[in-house]
This record gives sequence, structure tokens and C-alpha cells, in this order.
Amino acid sequence: MTTDSLAADPLLPGLRAPGNRVSRRAISYWTARAAVSGGSVVLGELVLAALNGFSAIWRLAIVATAVVVGLHAVIMPRWRYRVHRWEVTDQALYTRSGWFSVHWRIAPISRIQTIDSHRSVGERIFGLANVTATTASAAGPVRIHALDRQLADRLLDQLAVATGQTPGDAT
Amino acid sequence: MTAPEVTGGPDEAALVPAQAATGAPRGVSGDGRGPGPASPSGFTGATSGWRRLSRRSMVVRPLTDLARLLPLLAGLVILHARTGGGLMWGVAAAALAVITGLVHWATTRYLITDERVYLRRGLLNQKTLSVARDRIRTVDVTAHLLHRVLGVCRVSIGTGRNDYRSGESFHLDGVTRSDAESLRLTLLSSVREAAVAGPVAAEPRPVAESEPAAAEPEPVAAEPDAADAGPEIVRWRIGWLRFAPLTTTGLVVLGVLFGSVIQITNATNINLAATGPVQRVVADFATLDVLQRVLVGGAVAVCGYVLVAMAGYLAVFWNFQLAERGADTLRVTRGLLSLRATTISRGRLRGVEISEPILLRAARGARCIAIATGLRVGRGAEREGSVLLPPAPRDVARHVATAVLGLPEHVCSGPLVRHGPAARRRRFVRALAGATLIVATIWVVAWTQHGPAWVRFASLALLPAAALVAADRYRSLGHRLADGWLVTRTGSLARRRTIISTDAIIGWRIHQTWFQRRQGLVTLTATTAAGQQHYSVRDVPTAEGLALATAATGDLLVPFLRAPSRRR
Repeated sequence: MTTDSLAADPLLPGLRAPGNRVSRRAISYWTARAAVSGGSVVLGELVLAALNGFSAIWRLAIVATAVVVGLHAVIMPRWRYRVHRWEVTDQALYTRSGWFSVHWRIAPISRIQTIDSHRSVGERIFGLANVTATTASAAGPVRIHALDRQLADRLLDQLAVATGQTPGDAT
Repeated sequence: MTAPEVTGGPDEAALVPAQAATGAPRGVSGDGRGPGPASPSGFTGATSGWRRLSRRSMVVRPLTDLARLLPLLAGLVILHARTGGGLMWGVAAAALAVITGLVHWATTRYLITDERVYLRRGLLNQKTLSVARDRIRTVDVTAHLLHRVLGVCRVSIGTGRNDYRSGESFHLDGVTRSDAESLRLTLLSSVREAAVAGPVAAEPRPVAESEPAAAEPEPVAAEPDAADAGPEIVRWRIGWLRFAPLTTTGLVVLGVLFGSVIQITNATNINLAATGPVQRVVADFATLDVLQRVLVGGAVAVCGYVLVAMAGYLAVFWNFQLAERGADTLRVTRGLLSLRATTISRGRLRGVEISEPILLRAARGARCIAIATGLRVGRGAEREGSVLLPPAPRDVARHVATAVLGLPEHVCSGPLVRHGPAARRRRFVRALAGATLIVATIWVVAWTQHGPAWVRFASLALLPAAALVAADRYRSLGHRLADGWLVTRTGSLARRRTIISTDAIIGWRIHQTWFQRRQGLVTLTATTAAGQQHYSVRDVPTAEGLALATAATGDLLVPFLRAPSRRR
């Protein structure tokens, strides 16, 4: 499960990067998601502009938004794919996520209370799933995004077994 | 009658619908009316064990409901005065309130077994909540004015959950004082057990009707009972009243007052500005010149605010007392009209927060809040459950913090590790960028709307003010790890020092924005099951932050650190 786990984390020297990347299909999924949400903004602007007779300001605003949305849809998924990583060891769950801002999360296996998996419509289309492990802290859920579905199922089983072996939740 | 609702959230652990709980209750109910056919079978049959609220609670509910409806009712009565329908509405509402009270009393029942506490309520949507006794962290007894007149109180049971939906909080509204006291003792004995993980309760567990220990009705929270009252840690002094106007609590009280006045005048259709006294005041005010108006208006506002803030402080914190009860529980009692007694298990206490809003800090005052599992933080009235000290002198706050946690003095007051020049730069950049944006907006607006020039120039004062705040924010920023306690401090206008036990840390979050990355800073957040659930060390240099986390939680972080030999 650790492919290049000994490499230093280029984002945060001192910490090493979690061992595994997420599914390659995540790029398409994130692109589609960004395109849909960005597209709906542009569509809303088009409707408003149509009501105002497509004035020059509106046309400018629509072009500007479209450029930003397009850049976001192209850059964000690739950037995000390079950042998102995860790793499960005997002791802890370790993830890195984000793109412009980066989050590292570490939760000890012994403190994990529930493990669940969520598949949104979008994720199902792309054959992806995420795995969420919650701890007794409301601020502490660790989520692994955009995993391959079979891998997510295996991971759920593995985590369920691992957490079952350590009683108590330190509350 | 519908089936009992399944109320459990996905992440819930302690508070579960009883039918999902393991082990049926020993005592079970059934008095003819019993639960519906779809109810779990373990809940029908014998009659022992289940207890009702006090009969007097039948009065509490209707009266509180009616009081809440009063503005609306008054409006209806006046609105329909001509048609004569107003009285009808009033009677209907009163009847409805009385019926609700009856139904509430008739349908609410609770049961205490060796393992769990069960609470059942609701007529159509019958809910049965249960909580494992070893998960009970706090017992909170409150009595507002009406409760006190009737000699009843409300008992809230706090478990580790921090996100109840409203229907799921475990409380009994309207038990007699003696029952409340016995409940507190009973449930607390298991708290103690859980805290020390002892095998059997040393003291008898008073359950149900056979309750000898607290037979006499004891005024809740008025006096500590001599039986298990431990040494007092701190007691309220009248002189602390001087800190009342220095927090924003007064503003909240003022807002509530204002809101209810508006509501009443709206509902009753009274035009307040048209009444005699108000008109006279306005007329007098009109005779003054501008300077006098400003002076008089300011003086009235300040005096009014101070009075309201002091009244609010008195109402909430009158006779405040923090004392040890028994070996390992703390008890906070306070209140002038509404009495409140909160019992916090020391085993659940994970730290304290000392907060110093800027005015309070200027007067060398501070507040103290408990960080404990099962005590919610930051939700209106519930927040007050965790108060360990109202606004009071700073030395007292430190004394409280050291006393309840058994801390060495230097952890509470000692110097902190500063976060260095990059963190300082970030404070200034953020404050000045925000201020510049506001100033620019004011200039643009004032320019385009042809506003007076002095507005534009006055707005420039924001810049030095922002710089001052930034400097103070940097001075306040710091962290420290000492004797198994993680101390962090942030903020300027609302500065707070949090002290949490490293044992309570159950995970880490490291956050780095693109800007922080360029400056080599991270925000390190410890997650915990207590208090606000997460406590941050902001903008700490990367290496220092990692070292801190590693030192605090032993080997949790070590596997993820880069081996020194692998340095690029």
C-alpha cells in the first residue's frame, strides 16, 4: 500500500507524503463537477443578461466568468490530483487533500468510531467512492475522496476490522 | 399512534433509541394506556420502575407556553376586540396550553436501571431515548422563576454528544427538588464510577420511589448541602460587578430587551413614539444644540448599557460558586431568578479556556470556561453550562484554572513561545489588507455619492488601528507544551488562552494555505472530543509545529515524519 511513501512531502518538508494517490478517474470527476457548477453560474448570468437586453457590462461579465470557470475546471482537478493522497497504517489514517490550500489529517485507528462510505450521483457515474472515518471529535472526521469503488470497499472492511480490535474512544 | 421514531443520527453513540439499545430495561411500564402496538415488546408489561414528572409540572408547561404566546395573544385580543372574537382566541389558546401540559405530563416517563436511563415522551410520535449511565458526563439542574415558585426544576443530562437535534436532548422538565437531587446523586455516582473506572458503586444507588437520601426538598443551588460539599474553589464577590459592562453579554441582553419591546408594541399596535412620556422626552431633546445632544445621547446610552449589563450579570451570576463535590466532581451554582447547578465530572474535564475580551483585558479581568466532554460550547444558553468563572479579576481566573485542573501555576500564566517574524508579517498583511479594502470602498462610495470629505479622511484612521490590532495579535499569539498540557493563545479583540490535556488529543489537522506555504507556516489543529472539538496553534513555523505535535502525542505523528536521512 506504500508505493513511494518514503519520499518527502514536497509541500511540507518534515512530513512525508501519504503513500497512495486517489483514482485517476478523479480528474474527470472533479472536472465534470467544476464544469457543472461553473456552468450553472454562467447560465444564471445569461438569464439575467437576457432580461437586461445583453448590455455591454453583462457581456463583459459573462465572458470574464466563463474564462475563470474554464480555467478552474482545467487547472483545479489536475492540481488537486497531485495533492490528494492517503495512507492507512496499523496505527493511523493519514490523508492529504486540497489544492490551493492543503490539509493534512491524522487520526489514530484506535480513536475511530464509525467508518462509512458515501457515493453521490456524480461519484457513481465515475465509479468512485469516498471513505469517511469519524472520531469522537466532531472536528475530526478524516475523509478519503475519490477512491476506486472496489478499493473503497476493501478499505472499509480493512478499517472495520482494525477499529474493532481497539476498544474505547477516549471521551 | 405511530411507531416510535428512530432518532439516532449517523454518528451517534451515547444516546440511542432504546429499542436499538442492548439489554431491555428491567422495570417496564403499562398502565392501560401504554405504548402503541408497534412498540418494542420489552417496554410493555410490568409497571415497576417508570416514573412520571411531578404533577406540578402540569402547571409549568402551560404557563411558560402562555407567557411565550403573550404578545401574540394580546395582539389577537386587540385585533378582534370589535368582533368579540378576541376572547375566544384567548380561551382557545389557554385551553390548548393546558391540554399540552396535561399531555406532556401524562406521556413523559423515565426509568433508571443499573445500566441505562430511559426517557419516553410524545403522544403521537412516541420517542424513547436512552442513555448508558457510564456515558453520562454532566448533570445540570436549572430552575427558573416559575419552577421555583412551584418547587420543581429541570434536569438535563449531558452525554458526549455535541450535536443533538432539538428533540433529542435528554432532559426532564418538572421534577420535584428532592427527585432532582436524588437523580443528581444517582446519576453522579455512575459518573464517578466511570471516571475512576471502579468496579462497583461505593454508595447506595437511590432508584425510583424508595429514595431516602434527599427526602427533604432542598432548595436547588441555593446552598450547597453539607453532605458531600467539598472545599470551595471560588465564590462570587459583589466587586466583580465592575467587569459586567466590559463584555458583549450586555449587548445581547440589550438586543433581547429591544426585540421584545418591538414585538409587544407590534402585537398590541401601540405606537410607542406617540405616547406622552416619549413625546415629552423628544420635545426636550429637540431644544438642545448639537453638542449637547451628542453629550446627552452618549451619556444616556452609556448609562443604560452599563445598567443593563450589570442587571444581566447579576441575574445570571448572582451567588456564583464553584466548589468540589466529593472526590472528583465540580459543582457550579449560580443565578438570581433562575437558579442553575451544573455538576461536571472531573474525569471528563480536559482543559480550560481563559478568555479576555479586550475591554476586560484592559481592566485586568478574565473569564474561565471548562473544556469537558459532554459540555457544549458556543450555543447560546447551553454555553453557560460550561462557565467556570464569570468575568472576574485575572488572578482569580488563573487560580480557578490551576485549581480545577491541578495545574502548575506557570502553565496558566507563564510566557509562551512566539511564532516568529513570518507570523508577525502575516498578522500585519492580513489586518492592513482588510483595512485598506474597507478604506478604498469608503473612498469610492464617498467620491461617487459626493459625501462629505471628512468621512474619507476619518476612514484613514482605520489603517493605524488595524496596525495596532495586528501588533497585539502577534503579541498574543503563542503556544507552549508543558507537563502534558498544550497551551495555545490567539486573538486580540477576543483573546483566549486554551489549555488542554495532551491525553485528550485524538487527532491532528495540519492546514496550509498557498500564502502560508510561501512563508513556511502551518496552522496546527488538535482535535478532541471536548469543548469546541478543535484547538488550533495558528501560523506556527512548519518545523516547530511538527515538533510540537510530535512532542504532544508521542508516536502518533512519528511514522509520518520524514526520516532525517532522506533529506533532499
